[in-house]
Amino acid sequence: MTPILVFEQLLNGLQFGVMLFLMAAGLTLVFGIMNLVNLAHGSLYMVGAYATVAAINWTGSWLAGVALGLAATLVIGMLTEVIALRTLYERDHLDQVLATFGLILFFNEAVAMIFGRTALYMSLPGWLQGHVQIIPGSIYPAYRAAVIVVGLLVSAGLWYVVARTRLGMLIRAGASNRAMVSALGINIRLLYTLVFGCGAALAGLAGLMAGPIYAVQPGMGEMILIQVFVVIVIGGIGSVRGALVGAIIVGIVDTLGRAFLKPMLATLISPTAAENAGPALASMLIYLLMAVVLAVRPAGLFPSK
Amino acid sequence: MRKELVFWFVFAALLAFLPPVMNAVGQPYYIDLVRRIMILAIAAVSLNLILGYGGLVSFGHAAYLGVGAYAVGILAFYGVTNGWLQFATAIVASALVAAAIGSISIRTSGIYFIMITLAFTQMLYYLGISIAEFGGDDGMRLKARSQFPLIDLGDPVASYYVALAFMLASVYLVYWIVNTRFGMALRASKSNEARTRAVGISPYPYRLAAFVIAGALCGLAGALYANHTNYLTPGFMTWQQSGELMFMVILGGMASTAGPVLGSFALLLLEEVLKGWTEHWQVILGPLLVLSVILFRRGLAGIFYKPDA
Amino acid sequence: MLEVADLRKSFGALRATDGVSLAVAQGETHAIIGPNGAGKTTLIAQLAGNLRPDSGRIRFAGDDVTALPAHARARRGLARSFQITSIYPDFTVLQNVALAVQGRSGAAALWRDARRDASLRGPARDILEEIGLAERAEVLAANLAHGEQRQLEVAIALATRPRLLLLDEPMAGMGAEESQRMIGLLSKLKGRHTMILVEHDMDAVFRLADRISVLVYGRLIATDIPERIRANEEVRRAYLGENL
Repeated sequence: MTPILVFEQLLNGLQFGVMLFLMAAGLTLVFGIMNLVNLAHGSLYMVGAYATVAAINWTGSWLAGVALGLAATLVIGMLTEVIALRTLYERDHLDQVLATFGLILFFNEAVAMIFGRTALYMSLPGWLQGHVQIIPGSIYPAYRAAVIVVGLLVSAGLWYVVARTRLGMLIRAGASNRAMVSALGINIRLLYTLVFGCGAALAGLAGLMAGPIYAVQPGMGEMILIQVFVVIVIGGIGSVRGALVGAIIVGIVDTLGRAFLKPMLATLISPTAAENAGPALASMLIYLLMAVVLAVRPAGLFPSK
Repeated sequence: MRKELVFWFVFAALLAFLPPVMNAVGQPYYIDLVRRIMILAIAAVSLNLILGYGGLVSFGHAAYLGVGAYAVGILAFYGVTNGWLQFATAIVASALVAAAIGSISIRTSGIYFIMITLAFTQMLYYLGISIAEFGGDDGMRLKARSQFPLIDLGDPVASYYVALAFMLASVYLVYWIVNTRFGMALRASKSNEARTRAVGISPYPYRLAAFVIAGALCGLAGALYANHTNYLTPGFMTWQQSGELMFMVILGGMASTAGPVLGSFALLLLEEVLKGWTEHWQVILGPLLVLSVILFRRGLAGIFYKPDA
Repeated sequence: MLEVADLRKSFGALRATDGVSLAVAQGETHAIIGPNGAGKTTLIAQLAGNLRPDSGRIRFAGDDVTALPAHARARRGLARSFQITSIYPDFTVLQNVALAVQGRSGAAALWRDARRDASLRGPARDILEEIGLAERAEVLAANLAHGEQRQLEVAIALATRPRLLLLDEPMAGMGAEESQRMIGLLSKLKGRHTMILVEHDMDAVFRLADRISVLVYGRLIATDIPERIRANEEVRRAYLGENL
């Protein structure tokens, strides 16, 4: 457990946290503006990954593939909003949960039908392979570093929109009040579709960035979605700032836990026991963290409503 | 009230006659199918208590199927096959887990509650995966079925009638609970929470108690399920299974006695039909579920009789 | 019965309750009037326990209840009715009142069948008789006329055998005839129950109240018997001039 190793894992945690934030921001925006709980958010993450893989293969260019993949996710997201989700804005959360659950089944199976069930891998262009030196004596995968940079840039952009623009004002005002929003002279339907599209694009970005690191397979969205829920619960729903703080905390805790819990436990209890208990505890760590946060702050760290 | 009793009598009779009929026409597969549906119906009935009557949108109810099943499986693994002991452990373990999860979750509400129950169940799922002794991801075979005097759970027909009996008993149990003072307080909390506090009733203890009861009942279903499948995996505790349970409650009509049972039969038979058509049956089921949410409000029970208050 | 000492509640820069002090004697009917936005509902919410004040004390029957949650205050006999009708729409009228009766007995007989429980249904019917809703006992509350629903509000509050009734605009949204009926009902209760009445209907206020407090911008500008309030210059300027 050398300091360099810890530093690398911290970076990994930051990278994971940044991806969690992209997902959490999209989810919390949609909930904050449209009062819609969208379980199919994970499916858009998956669509982002698959669309990009397909686009890369089709165009032969990584950059073109990424751009096309993002665009495709945006379009699919907006189509989903128009076709299936519009009717749900007026319904209660239970109905929204159930309907979007049905969408998950659809997306997962559709993707399996088109691409098969085995995991795909996304190839990286030459300039993203290899390593960079962050601090002397330690090299770090270039791609992961790029993910951190892009993620932080997008986060900054999001912050700017939320804090400085009129749209951001609506978001911060907790504008799930249609009457108020339309009184400001804004086309509600268009706004909602656009916001949903943004959320979809964020999810798609997270998905395509995840491609080279994790496996691209049906159901990948739900695995991260539940972790995104933990982020939102810890951070406080409706709050973009809470999503950022929660995402970084969850990302780092989860990554460090998986890396170091087993060896740490092995020093306390027998190595064979740690073999089982280590991974088990590590996978439960963020949920236990969530339970502790809830016990102290039932509405999360930065509740906005 | 009359119509309801008639319905149950006819329904129970039909189910009771199914095994001999299926054996006679040489289709014993349907005995297994309906047994599975009835066991999951028990889980749906338990969920209906807190979801339909209590208004708690618990997206993690499948956890107790898992806890119950693993209680049976783990005891059998270590050579304890006494059915009474296994089932009692399944029920008590589920109740304890429900108490732990519920005490934290029920302090929250709305979307938080949905996410938190989902997250805790996922945590249990990961716990199940990571314990290699009990099969981890792949799960494990049941070493031996639960042993009860006189009843062999390995016999398809005997276990069918056991499942039928438990299903009817659980339906009656929930029916009885919701009509007691306890049940009325629970239903009142769902109907108008502010008003309920204003008359001096605090919803929290009622909701927590109902959550524990529902968990325990679902644990019983889990114990039966392990005996039915003869195999247990963490897959019993996935969010997909939780979602399926929720649909069984909603489709049938919440807050009614027959609702969750009808919903279970409807959904699981539909899945069976779709599975027969294509291996990609979920791509059809998904949109159907979405449509059902968008279009239907009262559920199936409303067709047979007016749900009793 | 009820003592309020220097109650304060602010929402950001808005001082909804700005140092309110009040004392209501047992058996008194005390009306609180004031223009819209004066903070009447905020005050009621703090008295009932739905809202925590920023500072100040509330004493009920001698005990400090400032920190007690709503349901605990209800159990001690502090009942409220809501300005926006808050009943159980999917239960019958009788069930609505029976639930309130159940509330006052706590967790007693928890597992008894509530549909046949005479210790619930008996008192519930008695209250419905008193209120005048006895014939509507088996009707679903959602199907009642608006005025009947407001009556049910009061019935539910009564069913908890309160020592103090907080009535938040009981006549809200009622026509002339319904209002007269409600005034008649409240006159029957007068004297037997301590009541704090928030109302806009001046006819009702002056007929029912023993004393009137006037709330303007979160402050009580006057507390006195009706005749003197009617004559009070400041009150006329702030509020009554428009209404009388």
